[in-house]
Amino acid sequence: MNRIRVLMTLAGLALAVGLFFALRAPIDAFQGAYSRIMHVHVPTAWLAFLAFGVTAVGSIGWRLRKTRRWDRLAAASAELGVLFTALALITGSLWGGGVWGTYWDWGDARMATTALMFFVYVGYLALRGASPDRETAAARSSILGIVAVVQVPLVYFSVNLFRSLHQGQSIRPDGATMPTEMLVAMLVNVAAFTVIYIALLIVRMSVLKLEEQTAPVPTAAGAAVQPPQLGKALDD
Amino acid sequence: MSFWRQAGEFARRDLIAERRANEIVAIVVPFGAVALMTLPLALGIDSAVIARVGPAMFWVVTLLFAMQIALRHSAGDAPTHRRMISLLGVDPLARLAGRTVASSILLVAFMTVMFPLMVLFYNPELPPLWPLALIPAVLAAIGLAEIGTLAAEVTAGLRARSTLAPLLVAPLAIPLLIGGSQAMESLSRGGGILPWVLLVTATDLALAVTAAVIARPLEEASR
Repeated sequence: MNRIRVLMTLAGLALAVGLFFALRAPIDAFQGAYSRIMHVHVPTAWLAFLAFGVTAVGSIGWRLRKTRRWDRLAAASAELGVLFTALALITGSLWGGGVWGTYWDWGDARMATTALMFFVYVGYLALRGASPDRETAAARSSILGIVAVVQVPLVYFSVNLFRSLHQGQSIRPDGATMPTEMLVAMLVNVAAFTVIYIALLIVRMSVLKLEEQTAPVPTAAGAAVQPPQLGKALDD
Repeated sequence: MSFWRQAGEFARRDLIAERRANEIVAIVVPFGAVALMTLPLALGIDSAVIARVGPAMFWVVTLLFAMQIALRHSAGDAPTHRRMISLLGVDPLARLAGRTVASSILLVAFMTVMFPLMVLFYNPELPPLWPLALIPAVLAAIGLAEIGTLAAEVTAGLRARSTLAPLLVAPLAIPLLIGGSQAMESLSRGGGILPWVLLVTATDLALAVTAAVIARPLEEASR
């Protein structure tokens, strides 16, 4: 319990530091105050990618080791990935409404592919929920967790691959396309949100473990039938 | 028995089961026709709009009903049957390939009925070279059958299967939907279909490679 308190305190501190930098950063001359949304939008989008990557790692780990820990990692990270993808879509849409004049644009490849990625992982969580037991859920969802991660690079590079309203990468090998002050604020927020993700991931994994420990163990032939106690019989 | 013989046997058995159950002809095709009729009824009598959205509606109906075809009861193996096939040492990929071939044939048959109905109900302006759009259409049908087969395997035996599988498939099938529908659009504008054929072919190949990689883990998972 203490560990969870420490983690949540760290997450709260990270959020406060991120908010401070976001509010102190200069605003864009053309976008106005809407540019501040980017300090939430970019970190949530990054965490969506990271979370689905971790889901794939957890899925591969489960397939190799077949231990519950890897499955809990995949499940917890997918839940957080869906949450952060939803936040990225909502904040992106709000920003688009103010700057582009439209909340949704079908011509924007990044928007459309992100929405598709969101629904694939909603399907992943639905598959886990529909499975009758933990092992079935882990076995089936691990396959989807590995296959679905292919979308992550597709979503990331969609702005380069397709004609799109969405701007390209802001940080490139030849330098950043934004002023240093804005870039620092954004990177601080990326780091802060990553701390929040790690804290939530650990907490969610702990909750999943507790759920597994407290869940009733199914019996094969009803509670009335007891397994034979061979050791005891031999002792007698 | 070679891989292709095994796959052929599975496809043949599936088609025989479908002929006996008559599920596609008796249920899925009439349901698809009703689905095609609902949009013009909902839109009213604006025939220009109806003509414009006809081909798109054809693809939406095809995508959604492809899941009905992939998940049809006549293609479902009982758990004991699946275990027996597994114990006999049948290649799991051959089973998936056979099922995909059968679903592709049935889906092409479904589309063959739906397309004239769409032309009848929506009266779209077809380009002179519209038969060329059949190439990406058939390729998209194969892709939909592939992805539907994989979803059917992942959700085998689950109670929520009939709703869960379309949720898994619909977002992943978008490249097929775009490739199939945009080929006709491109022909209408006097363009070619090659980019759309390539998009659908690449998707089909990616799905085939995915199936080859996950066939065995999928068989273990769905036991």
